[in-house]
Amino acid sequence: MFQRLDASSTPVRHVQIWLDGTPHKVPETLTVAAAVLQLRGWQGYRRHVDGSPRAPLCMMGVCQECLITIDGRANRQGCLEPVAEGMRIERQGGGAHDA
Amino acid sequence: MMPDARANDIAIIGAGPAGMAAAVRLAKAGHRSTVFDMNATPGGQIYRQLSESQVSDAVMGKDYARGRELIEAFTQADIDYRPGSRVWWADNDASGTSLGVLEKGQAQQWHARQLILAGGAMERGWPFRGWQLPGVMNAGAAQILLKQGALVPATPPVLAGTGPLLYLLAWQYLRAGIPPSLILDTAPATRYGEVVRQSRRAWFARSYLLKGARMIGALKRAGVPIHQGITALEAHGDKAVESIGYRHRGQWKTHSTELLLTHFGVTPEPQLARSLGLTHHWHASQQSFVPERDDTLAVGANLWIAGDGGGIGGAINAEREGQLVALAVLDKIGGVDPVWQQEKHSLLKARRRDLDARSLLERLFRLPEAWLDDQPEETLVCRCESVSRGELDRAITQGGAGPNQLKAFTRCGMGPCQGRQCGESVTRLLARRLDWTPEAVGYYHIRPPVHSITLGELATKE
Ligand SMILES: Cc1cc2nc3c(=O)[nH]c(=O)nc-3n(C[C@H](O)[C@H](O)[C@H](O)COP(=O)(O)OP(=O)(O)OC[C@H]3O[C@@H](n4cnc5c(N)ncnc54)[C@H](O)[C@@H]3O)c2cc1C
Ligand code: FES
Repeated sequence: MFQRLDASSTPVRHVQIWLDGTPHKVPETLTVAAAVLQLRGWQGYRRHVDGSPRAPLCMMGVCQECLITIDGRANRQGCLEPVAEGMRIERQGGGAHDA
Repeated sequence: MMPDARANDIAIIGAGPAGMAAAVRLAKAGHRSTVFDMNATPGGQIYRQLSESQVSDAVMGKDYARGRELIEAFTQADIDYRPGSRVWWADNDASGTSLGVLEKGQAQQWHARQLILAGGAMERGWPFRGWQLPGVMNAGAAQILLKQGALVPATPPVLAGTGPLLYLLAWQYLRAGIPPSLILDTAPATRYGEVVRQSRRAWFARSYLLKGARMIGALKRAGVPIHQGITALEAHGDKAVESIGYRHRGQWKTHSTELLLTHFGVTPEPQLARSLGLTHHWHASQQSFVPERDDTLAVGANLWIAGDGGGIGGAINAEREGQLVALAVLDKIGGVDPVWQQEKHSLLKARRRDLDARSLLERLFRLPEAWLDDQPEETLVCRCESVSRGELDRAITQGGAGPNQLKAFTRCGMGPCQGRQCGESVTRLLARRLDWTPEAVGYYHIRPPVHSITLGELATKE
């Protein structure tokens, strides 16, 4: 899991997102992948085509390990899309790589 | 040029130190460039999120102050900055370069007479057993979480690999109050002595070397164990990392952890330069391919590369190269102004000295050449298509004699990352097995799209 550092962080606005059906408030500076790593950690992030569990590796658009369903569209690069108010995110834990 | 394309005389891809410095310098001379960058805020890798920083300088260090000034100048200058826009193809001809841009889900066509590629670098893909497990992440990726949202690991991580970024992140975590439980460096301790003995270079590189020494000193004083000269690394676990193994002084050791952050240096992001068909050469000291640039950093008639995308020089060098390329563009479109010659001369001189000093860092953090050979059969080289070192070796034995043949035989490099993570490894493995130079082995052919684009997005074209 990743957690927000209290001691030295500056105030930030939050937005509400839905992750696998549950509402959460997250800092608006996060990308989708960062929000998931904060809320759920890397376990269960994604199942690869070969059946193996995978999670974000690079966080900068290179590796494609962060693929996730955003507002109904599958296989979005979670590390490149900023969170937005009301956004619905579903992890692809079931091998939905080819959706 | 496409009839419905948008146009600007000058376009820049990337708003890191190189792209920002180029745009600012051009604006100062009265030219408004268009700057595409896929991130939501300017800054590139080093100065990510600095315009609204989430973590204090007490944690991050003092180096970012320079970035704030640059971002401020960039924000205030007359520049057509387009955050959230990805360039997914480029095609160069005598009239300039046509670009396919995806801006916030909308497809656009652009044409630029002069194009500056300032796309920067990425962390090198470096296979080891278990690196595909959740709980293994790039150290730079963890630093992105820190910059983006002040996110830090809930339990102390292990940091492994080599290079300045590894120690920088370890030090930043120490300042944040969650020091790593262990640091594993592939560079042997004796390297430091060898490097410091190169006195002239060491003098010019003193700020890098002292900064590193101060960070390592602080980590040691805080009781963080640092093992130098590890020769192997593995991640173990079922659904995610549970422990790691490593070889140090000939002995295997294990350590339990749920998070392993690795860093094996950075390498130019290759896709756009490769897809444009630019000539690349193997840089023996940087241990990677770099595009061939002339003295003005040009790679074609109307095409330049500035910053780490042209070879790793660090953020200050990237800024200088951005200014140099801006001056080269000005020479080309506005006629040569004698005042610029002095500016160019001092930038070139500083650049030469800095790059010379940096070659010491390359020696210090040189990656072990035989690493891949020592990998067990099952180590994945291509993560996307799950192609192992063993499968690649079998394909080589069956006559696969080049990266593109191995791709056809095994599907390595055909997944969604388009070979960014495995390309260099495949070249390296072939070079070792065939006893060729990496230069002779070459690299995958890269074709657009260099970023994934869906049919739906193409259909949203204005
Ligand atoms: C993850 C990471 C973290 C780093 N952290 C530090 C650090 O803390 N301190 C330090 O001294 N050095 C750091 N470095 C090294 C750093 O990359 C360089 O020193 C410096 O940022 C290089 O500047 P640049 O302008 O060449 O490229 P970058 O800063 O990398 O900027 C390139 C920009 O181009 C954008 N881009 C690339 N391709 C496209 C495209 N096709 N379409 C649209 N946009 C595109 C990228 O998103 C990026 O914003 C880091 C490197 C990495 C990879
Ligand atoms: S985490 Fe690598 S592309 Fe998103």
